[in-house]
Amino acid sequence: MKIYACTEGRSGQVDAVSLEMITAARGLARDGDDVIAFFAGSAAEDAASKVGAADRLVAAIASQADIVVAETYARQLCHVIAVEGDGIVMVPYSANGLDVASSVAARLNWPLVSYVERITHDGGSLSVVAQLYGGKVLADCSVPLPAVLMINPGAFKEAEATPIAADRVTTIDISEHAAASRARPIAIGLPDFSDVDLKAADRIVCVGRGIGDEASIDLARDLAALLGAEIAGSRPVVDNGWLSKLRQVGKSGQKVKPKLYMALGISGAPEHLEGMAQSDVIIAVNTDPKAPIFNVAHYGATCDLFDLMSSLSERLKASGS
Amino acid sequence: MNILVILRMMPDATGELLLTEDGLGIDREWLDFQLNDFDDHALEDAILLKEASGAKVTVLAIGEGANRVLQMAAARGADEVIALPGEEDELISSRDLAATVVDFARSKSADLVVCGVQSSEDLFGQLAPYVGAMLEWPHVSGTNRIQASGDRLHVTQERGAGVSVTYEVALPAVLGVQTATKAPRYVSGSKLREASKTPIGKGERQASSFALSATIGGLHIPEQNGSALQLGDDAEHVAERIVAILESNGMGRN
Ligand SMILES: Cc1cc2nc3c(=O)[nH]c(=O)nc-3n(C[C@H](O)[C@H](O)[C@H](O)COP(=O)(O)OP(=O)(O)OC[C@H]3O[C@@H](n4cnc5c(N)ncnc54)[C@H](O)[C@@H]3O)c2cc1C
Ligand SMILES: Nc1ncnc2c1ncn2[C@@H]1O[C@H](COP(=O)(O)O)[C@@H](O)[C@H]1O
Repeated sequence: MKIYACTEGRSGQVDAVSLEMITAARGLARDGDDVIAFFAGSAAEDAASKVGAADRLVAAIASQADIVVAETYARQLCHVIAVEGDGIVMVPYSANGLDVASSVAARLNWPLVSYVERITHDGGSLSVVAQLYGGKVLADCSVPLPAVLMINPGAFKEAEATPIAADRVTTIDISEHAAASRARPIAIGLPDFSDVDLKAADRIVCVGRGIGDEASIDLARDLAALLGAEIAGSRPVVDNGWLSKLRQVGKSGQKVKPKLYMALGISGAPEHLEGMAQSDVIIAVNTDPKAPIFNVAHYGATCDLFDLMSSLSERLKASGS
Repeated sequence: MNILVILRMMPDATGELLLTEDGLGIDREWLDFQLNDFDDHALEDAILLKEASGAKVTVLAIGEGANRVLQMAAARGADEVIALPGEEDELISSRDLAATVVDFARSKSADLVVCGVQSSEDLFGQLAPYVGAMLEWPHVSGTNRIQASGDRLHVTQERGAGVSVTYEVALPAVLGVQTATKAPRYVSGSKLREASKTPIGKGERQASSFALSATIGGLHIPEQNGSALQLGDDAEHVAERIVAILESNGMGRN
């Protein structure tokens, strides 16, 4: 059987999450199985220098494309599967992966399970544990093979980044297909961290939807100032325009690892945890004792976040004077 | 331009979720149902496109409370609203729903299908890429900006870490919206009352086009792993403890 580990990235570079897919694939591979890393981008060098934990690399190259659009990625992967053989496709849960996983499943009419946390081989099928309701429920699923799995970032460790032997690399030219794509990348926007760089912050106070309204952000800002921390927000807070985009923590925001991360009124959806679970000391305040944020927190409190902000601010002011 | 929007009602998962006795579903009896947040943003993008360059917006809704949400959609500017029958007590599988959406995209001559990038129940895959692949239309998920540019769209996608990619997308197309170009608008009570007279059409469901994805053997509520040291629920006490924690980690005031 073939186990495909989908890599992704841009401008010819592969992201670290690609190596997690290789670990997931390796974990299922038995004697005679092949772990094939699939890459689509402008050049194969970076992928070839990292995916040595796979048995082979199939690199679909469109030399002009900083981004290979998901539709092209999915179509080309289906072509590769038609040539190489059926099996299991591991796709990371990312912006690109969201489009690729279902597109491949639809084109091949294969089963698909998303938000996968754990996988075990069960003879002819897979047993997977996947998240529902933002991680508040786990589903044990039995998945017939062949199948596509969309895997949560962080569910598997990164495989060691080692080069793959040149004779294990197959390159295919997809320039024509990429050019024919009806969704054409016309601009890549890169962040300007000169105002704020959460990744460099030592301490972060992050507020979630529990903060309620824009006026209350100021209270959190005051607390952050007393703590010498940067203020940050979850997606809904940033979507509401209460904090700037660069202050968003999580999957579509920044991945941070400060010494102190204080989460106020954040439920701890997987997309948020992805951005902060590695912080040194995590203190979470949430009135719901079952909130998933408490699973990654080192310290948890179930008091009202407004009461806490005012008590803590007062104490810090008193001790600071 | 004809735009088709899909709205999915989801159980409000902010409180405690309980499982049914057989452990195969969540107990829906006491749950509130809310519009999937991302679908709300998709609706807003459709209305913004209509305002910017003219469009007919058709809205499909499925799940408990669909009629109420369709009236809200009409109040925000939707031209036609249609309720789809749902299966009671079952999760809304976007994989199964895709065939129905494809059918409506064809019968309504849609140039654009928009829905939320995901829902809390789309365990078996996401609606936008399923529909895109079935129609052989381009699809982009995770959008935060959509603008008409002649007979094409300029669509910006969030890729994480502050990186975004803007695509020029030829129509027809399918978009999975993460964040609307502008925050979803507020609808006044008077507009809602006016829209409550809008006739709500009844749509038909098509059988799924796909093989069964997986069998759910059981659901469970993850145990709190107990890794967090509980500081309790008394704010004064919690604040005192936090100050001590900061000090013992070398982060006290100096
Ligand atoms: C592709 C994709 C990318 C995403 N990227 C991100 C991302 O980068 N970052 C991100 O954060 N999310 C992201 N999300 C969204 C994510 O799924 C969640 O919707 C989001 O994290 C929820 O934010 P929240 O915890 O602030 O809100 P909620 O889930 O609504 O939680 C609010 C919490 O506040 C608590 N609360 C309410 N009032 C109080 C009070 N007075 N005192 C104490 N506690 C209170 C409640 O108990 C609740 O747990 C993404 C989603 C998708 C699909
Ligand atoms: N990545 C792509 N994007 C858009 N169209 C494509 C892509 N790849 C192939 N096509 C077109 O889709 C049709 C079917 O191609 P194929 O997938 O090779 O069977 C052909 O007309 C191809 O030119």
